[in-house]
Amino acid sequence: MSTAVEYRGVSLGYQGKPALTDVDVTLHPGQRLALVGPNGAGKSTLIKSMLGLVDVLHGDAAVFGSDPKSARGRAGYVPQTDSLDADFPISVRRVVMMGRYRRIGWWRPARAEDRRAVADALDRVGLTDKAGHRFGTLSGGQQQRVLLARAIAAEPRLLLLDEPFNGVDVLSQEAIVRVLRELSAEGTALVISTHDLTMAGELADLVCLVNGRQWAAGPPDETLTAGPLRKAYGERAVL
Amino acid sequence: MNWWDDALHRATAEVVLAGALGGLIGVQVVLRRLSFFTMALTHATFPGVVAASIIGVNIMLGGVVAGAVVALGVAALTRRRGQDAAAATGVLLSAGFALGAALVATQSGFSRDLSSFLVGSILTVSPQDLLTTALVLAVVALVLLAGARPLTQIAFDRAGAQASGVSLGAWDIVLLLTIEVVVVTLVPAVGTILALSLIVAPAAAARLWSDRLAVITALAVLFGIGSGVAGLWVSTQWNVAAGASISLTATGILLVSWMGTRLRMRAGLKRVPA
Repeated sequence: MSTAVEYRGVSLGYQGKPALTDVDVTLHPGQRLALVGPNGAGKSTLIKSMLGLVDVLHGDAAVFGSDPKSARGRAGYVPQTDSLDADFPISVRRVVMMGRYRRIGWWRPARAEDRRAVADALDRVGLTDKAGHRFGTLSGGQQQRVLLARAIAAEPRLLLLDEPFNGVDVLSQEAIVRVLRELSAEGTALVISTHDLTMAGELADLVCLVNGRQWAAGPPDETLTAGPLRKAYGERAVL
Repeated sequence: MNWWDDALHRATAEVVLAGALGGLIGVQVVLRRLSFFTMALTHATFPGVVAASIIGVNIMLGGVVAGAVVALGVAALTRRRGQDAAAATGVLLSAGFALGAALVATQSGFSRDLSSFLVGSILTVSPQDLLTTALVLAVVALVLLAGARPLTQIAFDRAGAQASGVSLGAWDIVLLLTIEVVVVTLVPAVGTILALSLIVAPAAAARLWSDRLAVITALAVLFGIGSGVAGLWVSTQWNVAAGASISLTATGILLVSWMGTRLRMRAGLKRVPA
């Protein structure tokens, strides 16, 4: 079986300084991996490394069997909504269309199939009626769903989500979880960073516990237990 | 007599072209929140223009070189973690202006030219200036059209754009250099210091009227041209310096737009864009 992500003894960092070390993780198509750890633990660094945006200092990092940078075309990324310019004058439909740019190119007009992909993606996240609204007027949860729709429109084989449940209402959280389950059933590999242990336990097949280094990786019932959690969060962790 | 031989005709054509140019690039400046950076560029352009004039080379060339140094410097600074880009930009702003003033002081009998570099001299615009402005307008329009998708993506969602393979560094440099070329092109019309108002004010006003990028761009161009033509008219009617009246007209349009938006908000007719 081919792997979506395969990291062997990987250390990641910026300008030669390590930010996350000892990463050993294998993710197959259709699997859901949760990256769990406190703020600043290196979850975003690990996600960005899968897009080839962080230096691999040691070890072997492969995405779909090759260098992460060259596999970027098959990976989709859902950033945190607070990194976006909410004042920007752009409609929800155009945000989702951005997911198609890599297929359309910079200059060609969108084709019927691109418009269909955008409409389908908005339908999946339940925001068809918001297509004409300005992105910034939506709630935090709805904005997160639009970004998910944008990633879906790109038809990725590996989907990376950076804290998708941060500041999200219950309705949007349920919608996001439902869509993520559908995507993995269709064979998309998912990497989801979160500090919500309950969510990680319910949603993920695999959990990677990190804090400066990888402390544990495996099924939730083996990793989200007292021992590994104390290592990642420190002795004062309330379990 | 040829139409171009009349200084007022040339001035009118120049303000139309300059207004369109300022409005067009202004949308990028306002949406990317680069107003302060652009202000630093205008001040950094000043010593370049003065130096070029002293050594007798094309002043546009001098302005572009000086501005490019600042544009690339700021681009390099913003790419480094932990650097305060605003502080660096502020220092470059005053240093640029100081350098220009120091260069001026080395020359005797330079003060009249100095004011034309600072606030423009629209009635002395040459046919060559007009041709340059027209060419730059065409090139800038093409660059912004060709780069519309990546530039929009970067402005809206920098991290997402980078993740999808957009080269942030390359497009940042394209945008900063384009802004610099526009600033230098506007020097004959409104001078280095007042160029900022013809770039920022029309676009900022347009942003208040619409949430759609295409409408904002069209309005910004319209407001830019309107500021130029109305400012020139005021200048000829009441013998006010043209650069100043163009800048004040652009500021007036922004003020009226802002008040209009407040009134609409109070009347509950439209949600005010943030």
